Amino acid sequence: MTKKKITIGTIVVYLILIVLCAVWLLPIISTLMVAFKTPAEYINTKFYQPPKGFEFINNLKEVFSYYHLHINFLNSFIYAVSGVIFCILLSSTAAFAVTKLKPRGSFFIFLLIYSGTIFPFQLYLIPLLRTYNWLGIYNTKFGMILLYSAICTPFATFLYRGYFLNLDDQIMQAAMIDGCGPVGIFFRIYQPQLKAPTAVVALFQGMWIWNDLLFGMILSSSEKVRPIMVAVAQSTGTGGGKIPVMMAGVIFTSIPTILLFIALRKYFIKGFSMQSGLE
Amino acid sequence: MNKLFQKWGYIFAFPAVAVVTFMFIVPMFRNIYLSLFESDGLSVMRFVGFGNYINMFKDSNFVRSIFNSVLWVVFTIVFSVGVGLLIAVFVNGIKGENFFKSVFFMPLTISFVSVGAIWWYMYSKEYGVLNQILLMVGFKTKIDWLYKMPLNNISLLIAWSWQQLGVNLVMFLMGLTSIPSEQIEASRIDGCNKWQTFIHITFPMLKPITTVVVGMAIVNSFKAFDLIYIMTRGGPVRSSETLAVNMFVESFQRNHQGFGAAIGVFLTLLILPITAIYMRATSTVDHADNK
Repeated sequence: MTKKKITIGTIVVYLILIVLCAVWLLPIISTLMVAFKTPAEYINTKFYQPPKGFEFINNLKEVFSYYHLHINFLNSFIYAVSGVIFCILLSSTAAFAVTKLKPRGSFFIFLLIYSGTIFPFQLYLIPLLRTYNWLGIYNTKFGMILLYSAICTPFATFLYRGYFLNLDDQIMQAAMIDGCGPVGIFFRIYQPQLKAPTAVVALFQGMWIWNDLLFGMILSSSEKVRPIMVAVAQSTGTGGGKIPVMMAGVIFTSIPTILLFIALRKYFIKGFSMQSGLE
Repeated sequence: MNKLFQKWGYIFAFPAVAVVTFMFIVPMFRNIYLSLFESDGLSVMRFVGFGNYINMFKDSNFVRSIFNSVLWVVFTIVFSVGVGLLIAVFVNGIKGENFFKSVFFMPLTISFVSVGAIWWYMYSKEYGVLNQILLMVGFKTKIDWLYKMPLNNISLLIAWSWQQLGVNLVMFLMGLTSIPSEQIEASRIDGCNKWQTFIHITFPMLKPITTVVVGMAIVNSFKAFDLIYIMTRGGPVRSSETLAVNMFVESFQRNHQGFGAAIGVFLTLLILPITAIYMRATSTVDHADNK
């Protein structure tokens, strides 16, 4: 490779990029700093002055005692874990059915499931609320888990389907000849090969459930059931001098998705490209 | 044997089909039906035909929410797609690509709600970061970022672009890396400068991916809800409501459920053709890859 000359153009490009990066980092850094200040310190210091002490824990304590965020945190944790597990079960079996078992009308079955991602939520929010009321599952943990499992299923089925289409049928045919049934084929042959799409599903849908606000707001009303983002959203209305406390809460509630992202980073881009249908 | 597999095919697909049908498909049709009624969710529904749809366009809040949604689309295309493309072209292949990529990508790992809360702090009037910076550079007055029309919409859109730029950047980078470097080199040998190469080679080759990115950006802007709800609640005086927020306010805060259902149908009619276009573009991208 030839050595590149440093031109004025490159310098300008780097300068622009560095300025933009600074702009992009500003909200993150100032949030981190303010979360470590006391409310009084927040009012008396400038945003760029580093915090004097380590108030983050005290701020968190207030988040727990005043806003009870830990209850909602636990709720969302339950929803994310169980929603992802149910959605993986529902979607991997459905994708296996439409790609490998191929019953009559399997493409139509796939389209039916996939249509769940195409229509905006606004098209079924009101009837869904009414159904929930009618069934008596409004404001219940069961209702929330049902919703989150369902809402993650269409995209996950789409993703698993793409993956199954690339797995060849020969092993399956061999297993059939050996007398292995459909259930055995799914669990013994294909299930162990599904690590990558399962990671994408877990990352994307886990983050989705954790970050949901709209459904949590509409289908639940009490602190015992409400997911975390609804609680965070409610705390923004009050604000005032409590900003350090709020920001500590924001950081606290972002930790799970950031950890999940770090753990499954290599699947993240893949997830995006699949979500946009570019793979 | 085949019959057994057919049977199990239905059994395996059934739970997903049942859940999606019961939770989404049936409610969709009920929503379309409901949009023909006047209903507050409690008293008896009254059939009004297309009355809700007609009243929608007579409602100044609804009309403003269409206007705001269009503003969101235009702003998003210019500032988060356009700038995303520019940064992708700049960043592609330079030293420190990964660093720049991760900085712009970072906001995507936090939720809309958290992004909203963070920017709510940035914009806060008394001690917010932006007003402090303005004070430092000599501005005397404190700006009401979120409480004045039309600045509130622009402030929301800045926060939105801050979050959305990363997706577009990464998608364009994916597209750029798939362009064979011989083509770029050939154009350089033919005497094109960087700008000409971009206009004549790079941009045309990115066309399918651009369609997808723009399509998704439009659909996402129409659906934007969380960020607006956190930062302004659609206010002040409903001036920052987009269609999605307007639907929420009408259906769940003012209990105009039939009216809200009609807004839902309207929003869907806007979004579906765009989805169809970019999904078709997706299949052409697939095609290009398979060759």
